[in-house]
Amino acid sequence: MIKIFFRLQLVQLRSAMEYRADFWIAAVGAILQQLVSIVFLVTFFGHVSSLGGWTLWQILVLQGLVMAADGLREMFTDGAWQLRADVNSGSFDRVLVRPVPPVVQQFTALASIHGVGNAGLGVVVLIIGLAHSGVQWAWWSVPLLVLTVLCGAILTTAISLLTNMIAFWEPSAQSAFPTLIALMRDFAKFPLDIYGAGIRFVVTVLLPYGLISYFPSRLVLGVGDAPGWWAVTPVIAAAGSSLVASLVWRKGLNRYQGVGN
Amino acid sequence: MTAVEETTWRGRTEPGPKYLSLARTTLQQAIAYRITTLFNVGLTFIWVIILYYLWRSAYAGRTSIGGLTWDQMRTYVVIAYGINALVGWRTGSAMMATIRTGDVVFEMVRPLNYCTTQLARSVGYTVVEGAVSLAFTLAIGLIFLHIEAPASVAAALLFVLALIIGFLTKVLVVFLVSLLTFWTLNGMGLMWSQQAIMQILSGTIVPLALMPAWLQVIAGVLPLRGIVSTPLQLYLGQSTGWDAVGLLGLQLFWLVALWVLANLAWRRAFRIVEIQGG
Repeated sequence: MIKIFFRLQLVQLRSAMEYRADFWIAAVGAILQQLVSIVFLVTFFGHVSSLGGWTLWQILVLQGLVMAADGLREMFTDGAWQLRADVNSGSFDRVLVRPVPPVVQQFTALASIHGVGNAGLGVVVLIIGLAHSGVQWAWWSVPLLVLTVLCGAILTTAISLLTNMIAFWEPSAQSAFPTLIALMRDFAKFPLDIYGAGIRFVVTVLLPYGLISYFPSRLVLGVGDAPGWWAVTPVIAAAGSSLVASLVWRKGLNRYQGVGN
Repeated sequence: MTAVEETTWRGRTEPGPKYLSLARTTLQQAIAYRITTLFNVGLTFIWVIILYYLWRSAYAGRTSIGGLTWDQMRTYVVIAYGINALVGWRTGSAMMATIRTGDVVFEMVRPLNYCTTQLARSVGYTVVEGAVSLAFTLAIGLIFLHIEAPASVAAALLFVLALIIGFLTKVLVVFLVSLLTFWTLNGMGLMWSQQAIMQILSGTIVPLALMPAWLQVIAGVLPLRGIVSTPLQLYLGQSTGWDAVGLLGLQLFWLVALWVLANLAWRRAFRIVEIQGG
């Protein structure tokens, strides 16, 4: 299965690399988008020394974790964003008749190599942040950070699949709804303490982006009192979201076939 | 008999003002996609909320940062994003789409100025999309975030004037970026870059006055500041008298320069299409 996944990815990648200039423009564009929040932070901390007890460097750790996770998602499962167009054009039918699980085919329907740029930048920002944060390194620090990024990629993948599945029920490809939900991850690029209760609830429970940045970061960075079990928050986010996504995916496929497209 | 024909065909032989009817068509399209419009408003609000909370905690125990009070900063953040939504994603992506699919050829054979055509279309989108966004932003800003009113009547008038010039500036910048699609296929990457650079240099993400000195100098002379920063400086009454005149002058200068540039660039692009499409 995994072999098929990567082989399909490779095919997409080859076709995308045919347009080399395009790749670079997309990569630069994606990185510039990420830089907006970094430019803001640097400016902000030019006037303020700490944000709710967090330093600039510690916040860069949050930013890095979210960016790296989303970059990985972009690299490997960006095909989910193709779902609405495929359902609308009817080319999703092809996915159903092939002897490969539909979800694997959908994930590999699009190769967004500019994800490399985002993931790379995320890792760089993460390392810079960690290097200046005076971290008390323990044996579990690095494994926890790696786990957090991986779980983050799973979470963002599950959410992007869930929101794009709107196509099965509401076939108007124009909707900006998936983009809106995906962009809510930006909340998790800052310490959750600054927000009101409503936003904290959304980013912790409904769209648990906070579980793949804020909670594990507090543990690694030692900001405030962080109970040890927070180390499993990324796993909770990844497992919970995948479960919901797979259930809805099954429902969506049934509906798609039931309607008889 | 001829008289009868004339009266029945009046609609065809005497069309309405060309550019006005273009604006009206896009206006109707924007109304057709109202849910998208609504979600686009939501998109801009994510960062309004983030910035609101960030600045709120920054102002805890302080009265002024970079010459702005908390009241002014809140107002700045809300209105900056409202203005930024005036020319949305759609204008640029529509232009790029015509170039990619080749429909641009139809634009070329029309006896209209392409720049003005795009300007007219943007106005159409803006009347619906932009106005809705701005109205929403202001409503939520007034009710929940208690933003300030313009500093004075004069400030309000200057704000509106600067806003209009800024709007035209943004359309021209988006137009110029879209033209690059003649040379590359990747519109997405271009739009992302354009958005990011505009957010920073227009002063949307953070007021110019707070930027590091080197960035302030760059942003200060470029046309992008005219889109968000200049109208807001006038709104908050931070620049009055000759200072305000200077800001408006800079805005106008760039508007004219961009207009000339856009028309030149269009002609260049036009030639490329002719060569390729032989």
